[in-house]
Amino acid sequence: MFKNTRLQALLAAVCVMFGAQSQAAALMGFEDSAMMMTEIGRYNQEWMLNYSPKIGHAFGVEVMRMSAKREQATTIVGLNYNGLIKRWNMPHAQANVWFQGSIGEASGLYDGFAYTPSLQFDAETTRLYFLAKARLIRANDMNYDTAVVQAGFSFYETSFDETQPWFVLEAKTMRNTEPSLQITPAIRLINKNYFFELGVTNPFQGDSFAPRVNAMFVF
Amino acid sequence: MKKLFVLFVFAFTSQIAIAETSIKAEVNGMVCAFCAKGIEKKLNAMPEGKGAFVDLKNRVVVMELKDGQEVTLEKFTQVIKDAGYTVSKIEKVPQSAEAIKLELLKTNGAK
Repeated sequence: MFKNTRLQALLAAVCVMFGAQSQAAALMGFEDSAMMMTEIGRYNQEWMLNYSPKIGHAFGVEVMRMSAKREQATTIVGLNYNGLIKRWNMPHAQANVWFQGSIGEASGLYDGFAYTPSLQFDAETTRLYFLAKARLIRANDMNYDTAVVQAGFSFYETSFDETQPWFVLEAKTMRNTEPSLQITPAIRLINKNYFFELGVTNPFQGDSFAPRVNAMFVF
Repeated sequence: MKKLFVLFVFAFTSQIAIAETSIKAEVNGMVCAFCAKGIEKKLNAMPEGKGAFVDLKNRVVVMELKDGQEVTLEKFTQVIKDAGYTVSKIEKVPQSAEAIKLELLKTNGAK
């Protein structure tokens, strides 16, 4: 019990130090809900539709498309699973560890069976947000392994029925792509029905500059 | 006899006055509207309730009961738990959901 309390205090401190959001911590709605997600950027695109029969589990389909500069794109179409490994509910914060992954078929520059297991940790309060995620994106001869860190803050607290604006900064690395490091500052809008984010990847790097849109809806 | 009658009427009306009309719960981990929507949806689907509301700032969830309807605190707690959250305090209160909402709004304003 004592250890648990100390762990919760530590997690709360992490939330305060690094920030945490809340929204869309992972691609899962509530029991008996469906969720749709899309991320559209210059180098990566992703679409997902899943159904959660029970809190902690969601099944669906996912399409990912990766492309580097001057390179043919690779598309992975697969079946996806999201699982909540552990959740800490604290009075003013929440932290989670998730597993997410797809198995499917790659086509394009690389072909064949593809798999994309990932682990994610996120922690959030109503004002602060932090996320770290590592994902393997593999197929025969293909390696687009990805690591992502996000931190953000909301400009102010809102009520349940209002839209809350956030500023989020993301650093993302993807192997065997160019640019390998993508820095994306973004404005995120969170509502009880949707999540919408508009960012700019590598805003200060000339030809790497690219807008990015991210959206989620829960039904 | 008259005193007894008055006492009876007083006791009866007092009982009505303190009738429990809403369930109010403090919820841990409820930090975002997008994530907490499940709580509202599940509670609004309960036939015993008149409707529910979520207050993120005070991390409170309230459901007003229909007249003559009953929901145990255990059942209410389970609904919150099934949505992925933890109840830290729960009680039945002799207030309408609207009255509690106004009260919380005043609290938010004072913060």
